[in-house]
Amino acid sequence: MLSPTFTFSPLAAAVLSPVTILVLCVVAGVGTILLLPGKRETSIRWIGGLVLLAALLIFIAIIVREGAAMRGEAVYFWLFSGIAVISAIRVISHAKPVYSALYFVLTVLAVAGLFVLLWTEFMAAALILIYAGAILVTYVFVIMLASQAHSGATGKATEGAEYDRVSREPTLAAAVGFTLMGVLLFVIFDKAEGMVPATPEKTPAQAISEGGGSVRALGAYLFNDQLLTLELAGVLLTVSMVGAVIIAKRYVDEGETETQPEVIVTPATPLDDNPHSIPVFGTRNPVAKAYPEN
Amino acid sequence: MTLFVLQRYLAVGAILFCIGLIGFMTRRNLIVLFLSTELMFQGIAVNFIAFGRFHMGAAFFHGQAFVVFLLVIAATEASLALGLVVLLFRRKNTLDADAWRDLKG
Repeated sequence: MLSPTFTFSPLAAAVLSPVTILVLCVVAGVGTILLLPGKRETSIRWIGGLVLLAALLIFIAIIVREGAAMRGEAVYFWLFSGIAVISAIRVISHAKPVYSALYFVLTVLAVAGLFVLLWTEFMAAALILIYAGAILVTYVFVIMLASQAHSGATGKATEGAEYDRVSREPTLAAAVGFTLMGVLLFVIFDKAEGMVPATPEKTPAQAISEGGGSVRALGAYLFNDQLLTLELAGVLLTVSMVGAVIIAKRYVDEGETETQPEVIVTPATPLDDNPHSIPVFGTRNPVAKAYPEN
Repeated sequence: MTLFVLQRYLAVGAILFCIGLIGFMTRRNLIVLFLSTELMFQGIAVNFIAFGRFHMGAAFFHGQAFVVFLLVIAATEASLALGLVVLLFRRKNTLDADAWRDLKG
């Protein structure tokens, strides 16, 4: 934790000026354009990744120099946030969806680490359980379901699909995204100086022990003050479960109706039909005949 | 929690959100599209928790409760969206979002 004298100094105005943020965002944007999957060679994508990494490191270095303290919480903060941001970039830039999902697990774990640093252990555990445990397993299942047939059809499992290897409008998207990022960072670092905590500052341990433990206090808050919202959340989960079942079931019905009509190409009576033949019942093929006299 | 530490967490949240936004606009695979929205959810969750920690007191639990409901929304969104993705994949045998370009209005 930083010293209180540091708190309300004109912190970012001198060091992290809008121009710095702008230049860093432009550099990071160019790196992202090069890194995103497209019809480029692998070496250019590597260069894009390095450019992006360099912009990130410069940003971190500026803030670390301003913050001056590099001990205890700060070390873990930079570790976790670095892992989170780098693996998030890999999520959107990796050409194979399975790897994107696995890098997303890494992002979730790093964000859970950030939550632990913020004294919310229950949220960290819930995040890992729900995201890395439940949601991501569903994603990986769907990726396997959806890509199995595709690789079998084209026979190019290693190459990946065309829509995975070529991204859509990377320049425009990077411009929009990094403009938004620049504006947000500018507001966060430059315009946030008037912000003061509403309550006088307590240590986290005090606030948690007042509520009788982190999880207990959160549960009391949820079931006392937010009861209606909690019930609504439960209803929402039930409705979505029913909806997912119906969505999955609807296809099965349509699939059966699609495969049912059987196209018969052969004429019902072949030209060289034997006049003594008898049609065989129990089969749909009209050519199947029995010849009792032969 | 000093102001400057809060700003660091807000910056991480903003960066995660914008990366997710870029991914949502550029990628064409339907599954990766929804992974990008989950990335945006992560950024927002970091913001909520950091603000709760910043204001400590009762707001500490307000932020956490908001993230609980955010996880609920994320779970519903993932289940419904992935069901739809499987449905769409079986219709056209591709995960390309551009395959559904003719859907207008």
